[in-house]
Amino acid sequence: MSVRSIVTDRMTRHPSDSHTLDRYLGTGGYRALAKALEMPPDEVTGEVKAANLRGRGGAGFPCGVKWSFLAPAKPAYVVVNGDESEPGTFKDRQLMERDPHQMLEGTIITSYANGANHAFIYIRGEYPRSARRVQQAVEEAYAAGYLGSDILGSGYNLEVTVHLGAGAYICGEETGLLNSLEGRRGEPRLKPPYYPAAKGLYMQPTIVNNVETLANIPWIIENGGEAFAAIGPDGSRGTRLFSISGHVRRPGNYELVMGLTWRELIYDVAGGIPEDRALKCWIPGGASAPWFVPDDHLDLPVTLDDTAKAGSMLGSGAVVIMDETTCTVRATERLVRFFAHESCGQCTPCREGCSWLERILRRIEEGSGREVDVDMLLDISDNISPGLAWPPRMTTICPLGPSAVSPILAITSYFKDELMAHIHQGGCPFD
Amino acid sequence: MTEPVTVTINRREVSAQPGEMLIKTAQDNGVYIPRFCWHPRMNPVGMCRMCLVEIETPRGPLMVTSCTTPVSDGMTVDTTNPSVKKAQEGVLEFLLINHPLDCPVCDRAGECPLQDQTMAYGPGESRFVEEKRHFEKPIPISELVMLDRERCILCARCTRFSEEISGDPLIEFQERGNYTEVNTFPDEPFRSYFSGNTVQICPVGALTATPYRFRARPWDLTFVVSTCQHCSSGDRINLQSSQNRLLRILGLDSEPTNQGWLSDKCRFGFEYVASPARLTSPMVRDEEGELREASWGEALDYAGGALGEVISRSGGRAVAGLGGARGTNEDAYAFSKFLRSAVGTNSVDCQMDDGLDPRLLSGIVDRARIADLEGAGSILVWGPDLKEEHPTLYLRVRRAAQELGAGLVVIHPRGTGLDDRASVKVTYQPGRGGEVLSELMDGNGRMAEAREVLSNGPVVALLGRPGYGESPDLAEATAAFVRSLPDATILPLARRGNVFGALDMGLSPALLPGRAQRGTLAAQMLADRWGELPAASGRDCRRILEGLESGDIEALVLVGADPVRDVPDGGLARRAFENAGLVVAIDQFLTDSSRMADVVFPAMGFSEVEGTVTNIEGRVLKVNRLTPGPGQSRPDWAILSDLAARLGVDLGLVSAQQISQEVEELADIYRSVNWERLDWEDRDGVVVGGDLGYVPVFSQVTSVSPRSGEMALHYARTMYDDGVMMRESPSLRPLAPGSAAHLHPSDAARLGVGEGDSVDVTSVSGSLQAGVVIDPTLEPGVVYVPFNQPDTPSLGSVLGVKVSR
Amino acid sequence: MVEIRSPSVRRGWSESVRARASEIVKQYPEPRSAVMPLLYLAMAEEGYLTDNGMREVAGAVGLTPAQVRAVASFYTMYKRENPGRYLISCCTSISCMLLGSDEVLRAIEDESDVTAGETDPAELISVEHVECIGACGGAPAVTVNYELIEGMTTEKARELVRWLRTARPEAIVGAECQELFGGRRSFDWGAFDRDSALGPYPAFGPLGTVSGPAGDQEG
Repeated sequence: MSVRSIVTDRMTRHPSDSHTLDRYLGTGGYRALAKALEMPPDEVTGEVKAANLRGRGGAGFPCGVKWSFLAPAKPAYVVVNGDESEPGTFKDRQLMERDPHQMLEGTIITSYANGANHAFIYIRGEYPRSARRVQQAVEEAYAAGYLGSDILGSGYNLEVTVHLGAGAYICGEETGLLNSLEGRRGEPRLKPPYYPAAKGLYMQPTIVNNVETLANIPWIIENGGEAFAAIGPDGSRGTRLFSISGHVRRPGNYELVMGLTWRELIYDVAGGIPEDRALKCWIPGGASAPWFVPDDHLDLPVTLDDTAKAGSMLGSGAVVIMDETTCTVRATERLVRFFAHESCGQCTPCREGCSWLERILRRIEEGSGREVDVDMLLDISDNISPGLAWPPRMTTICPLGPSAVSPILAITSYFKDELMAHIHQGGCPFD
Repeated sequence: MTEPVTVTINRREVSAQPGEMLIKTAQDNGVYIPRFCWHPRMNPVGMCRMCLVEIETPRGPLMVTSCTTPVSDGMTVDTTNPSVKKAQEGVLEFLLINHPLDCPVCDRAGECPLQDQTMAYGPGESRFVEEKRHFEKPIPISELVMLDRERCILCARCTRFSEEISGDPLIEFQERGNYTEVNTFPDEPFRSYFSGNTVQICPVGALTATPYRFRARPWDLTFVVSTCQHCSSGDRINLQSSQNRLLRILGLDSEPTNQGWLSDKCRFGFEYVASPARLTSPMVRDEEGELREASWGEALDYAGGALGEVISRSGGRAVAGLGGARGTNEDAYAFSKFLRSAVGTNSVDCQMDDGLDPRLLSGIVDRARIADLEGAGSILVWGPDLKEEHPTLYLRVRRAAQELGAGLVVIHPRGTGLDDRASVKVTYQPGRGGEVLSELMDGNGRMAEAREVLSNGPVVALLGRPGYGESPDLAEATAAFVRSLPDATILPLARRGNVFGALDMGLSPALLPGRAQRGTLAAQMLADRWGELPAASGRDCRRILEGLESGDIEALVLVGADPVRDVPDGGLARRAFENAGLVVAIDQFLTDSSRMADVVFPAMGFSEVEGTVTNIEGRVLKVNRLTPGPGQSRPDWAILSDLAARLGVDLGLVSAQQISQEVEELADIYRSVNWERLDWEDRDGVVVGGDLGYVPVFSQVTSVSPRSGEMALHYARTMYDDGVMMRESPSLRPLAPGSAAHLHPSDAARLGVGEGDSVDVTSVSGSLQAGVVIDPTLEPGVVYVPFNQPDTPSLGSVLGVKVSR
Repeated sequence: MVEIRSPSVRRGWSESVRARASEIVKQYPEPRSAVMPLLYLAMAEEGYLTDNGMREVAGAVGLTPAQVRAVASFYTMYKRENPGRYLISCCTSISCMLLGSDEVLRAIEDESDVTAGETDPAELISVEHVECIGACGGAPAVTVNYELIEGMTTEKARELVRWLRTARPEAIVGAECQELFGGRRSFDWGAFDRDSALGPYPAFGPLGTVSGPAGDQEG
């Protein structure tokens, strides 16, 4: 099994104080920053491009390419997306709580590379400990001269503001996050024309990167993009944090080199299923991802491209394991309820469709399902995500609405018997 | 204009301007794409998703909202294929699942976009069997607007209008997801001067106007297109009536003027037309000194006889006329002709001692058009608070500054509606305008930034009187300075509905019809037609009132004016009326002025007469009739014509249209005006050119300060006041702010008063009690008192007042 | 005439809170960005988000109260109804649900006699169910005043409620609660975090909503 630590190395070796500046400096911290500040900014971007680091927030867009799209207008901003809220995901929380300087150093390097003099770290409101640790790191960094004016005598200036969210999953969507940071409702913006690289925060060019993505930056600068690109299979370079939860013996965050199989991930890394119960299905990449089932997917390699080819995604790296005792109708209802609750409400199909789907599913789970409901679930889903394809097409502004469709496709294609059993028995067979 | 691009819509090639939204290109080429949230006068948001279409991309067909997709060359669009149809049906079904089916009792039914599009594009049935979303319904969100959140489809038209267009975001989306609703802050109602627009653009019956609710079904309404006469912008409107009663006014999207929007004063300020207080019969003062109803013959004999007596005793110059700015050009022309050829006087004024030199108003060189605001590099507003007195012009300036990038300099004695969009705002003490102008001309100190902004041409300057303590010379001196700014044009401001038309018809001492000055060739041509023109120069409003008070003027003919309430120095007007030998009034109501007349003739008015009006930029527009006048009321021109006949003069006027033709013949600049065309191809109006070319003269305006112990008075109008049209419109009457004294916090502290406390404001000519409003936008030492509020006496056109507890 | 709701009694912020607010506004290139931290400030000031608080925020950043309420009502953590001193939020999203969160919630409701979404009459305890709080590796999880407790069981949940009732801690120290009532964690939390939450809003220094290290208070 190929386990190699980049972003969790320090916290593993120094569990008691990995979050402090002393420990960070004692383990090579801020060396990458010093190195980067000696390089021209576009060379820094070049290293990140060479690393082929793909975004760790969900969409998996190549980070260096994203930076190179930044429009030249000034001021430019860097925004750290620490609004981790995808059900099943808890990796950024660990990175922020246990090694805040690492992501902060990544933020400073990123800001330097992109010519930004103000960066914002947006942390979800339900993560006060993350926010405190990051804030402490920011204060330490200011005091030590890694932030503020003339950083390390380079002439480069950077201010960092830690911003606390207040309970809205949609702010994890980058344009929703920018609206939120501007003091507005966290409604996603239209793309086009509001691509952050051109019209982002305050309509200025803006880089939005996920916490884990930024946590990789210091390593890349210190060891070179090529070294990073040498780790892991093509298209899935470097390591990746997987948040494993649900019916497994050893849930938790695991930093892994991609390329192992799902079987290895579930049975070796996470220790298999308690009481050796049978695996029923799993969500391979956060609540938005279409489900996988043992018969079809257990021996697929865990890479971005193989997962996409099989009709799903690694998304935020959240793997939720469901064993044979799971009522998939209930699980689906719970997932769709999440999206209905988190829909921002601005566009019609998502606002109306998600809660309609949720209500039908609850009705079925509670025993008042009708046979026509099955086709209706699919047809309503089709009106949110035409063709029910992957990657999803959308009648909506952002992908939140189509995300609610993923679990419905799973139960109607893999677990239709279970759905019909609810309808015919007038209740949940698992109760 | 850039090179057009070619787009294929439903297999048909069309050409379009690049950057234009697909929904508009399609519509302009006969392809209607259904929509709810898109509005041509607001930025697209792509929220309702009704306008989904498919465009071809290298990666296959892509579903996009046509309201947010700009056209590009070679774009291929399908608006009707099965997947588009399915998506549209899907969106409609989603919109309907929580929409109540209360169409039979909904005001919007019959003109409801949701209803119409459901019929055209929707699924035949709903599959929704769950309980619909419920809200308390309907709730009042202001005195004028009711909100039914169950009907709302969350298209954000109303909220966008409030933020983007009118700049008073008092309604907003609240809550989230499926619980999202539009609402106000709990104790802060939607008191916007423009709230009615949200009702008009609401695509369902969620927002309804209290004055119209349950008054008519749309299919029972009779319509006519007309022009609003509350302010001088010339806003185009759709008058709607049922059973001969005016019930509703909607804004029309006319590019040069209001672009679809109206102020609530224009939209709801029509109720007075059907007021029971309207005059229905002539009235004559009897032996006991009471006005009693009389026949037309008796009243005309009485008035003609008395007027004739004055004229034969003291000559025509002992007679004066006031008013005429509230009617049509035709009525104003008749008034002008009556006074000059039947009476023989040049003493006439359509302004109420609250305006500017008529030559400046309608004859200035480099006069701006409203549309110039669109291309302006910078805009100077130094005059009345546009939001209060020129509401739709305010929207145009706001748009220019907010959306089109014009720099904006606002100079005013207190906060104005435009301040939040101003690049530079200068506040000053009334009376010190001359100093402020000198500073602006020097461009030093606090004015450096203003001059910097105004160095971006073209400059458009909107100049008028900020308040009544300010000398009218200030605007003229400012205009003279502004002409030195790059590519400057000037729009002088005066507020009464048809004041510019009335000036063009000669209702001022110095001007004759067609902006002709006395003693010119044009005047000579007029004399050929009218007969000999009076030789003596005439008096303006203030001097007419002074003449009446002193007895130099013996008789007054009043047409649709209420000087006692309307001139800044109400005390002077009252004394003038008390001393007047004879007052003949033509009016729709017994006002505080006409109540003191000897003879009162009942006049027809708005929505009852046909004619033309001329707006602030010299644009002639048509007004049309929809409802009959009450009782025995008649048009002004007909009354004046009969009165002239009693003086033995035939004015030769037979109909409003004939008058219009006479104006066309006599006044060169009105040659392009034609009634038929104004109803059709010229329905956006015709700008009458041939300006006087009046060059504003710079004069040093002396600054004046209040005496010690006094405060400087800022005395200015509000949108809602105690004018007779407001007083007789029940929906608007309660909205007048009432008697108030706005004080800077430091003055309030000095006086030991707080918000809501009562103070006495005393001037040499009047005294009133007012509630204190703490107003940090004022300069210390200034008190702002809204002009002409219910039950409030006039303070006069004074600069200094005493304010005490 | 239509009756419009009359203005509620207005209480202004103190000068010190206003000063704090203007410090926060200065952190951002545009004042409006300060709306979210200011809403927390308003909550900390009055215990929850009142109309008055929203009006103050509006004044501080130059928006209308309606605009501020539009923002406040979008986010679940701005409580516009007075919650109890302790806000127990029970995650019932997918991972927690799979491991028994519904039973944990029922235990909390039963022990506290407070239904999810409600507050007890003494205004001591509020209970709510929430969507995923990022503690899936330590499911099922709850928070008290946003301080996390992972590895919950129905028994521990009952103990937690009883403890809040009887001990009535001045402030909630998350790490301490985890030691008392928690079980398996998503990951090793590292050093003991002594910061504590003063009320039903997140404890975060720059907002002034966090109390000093618990150790210091004890000492």
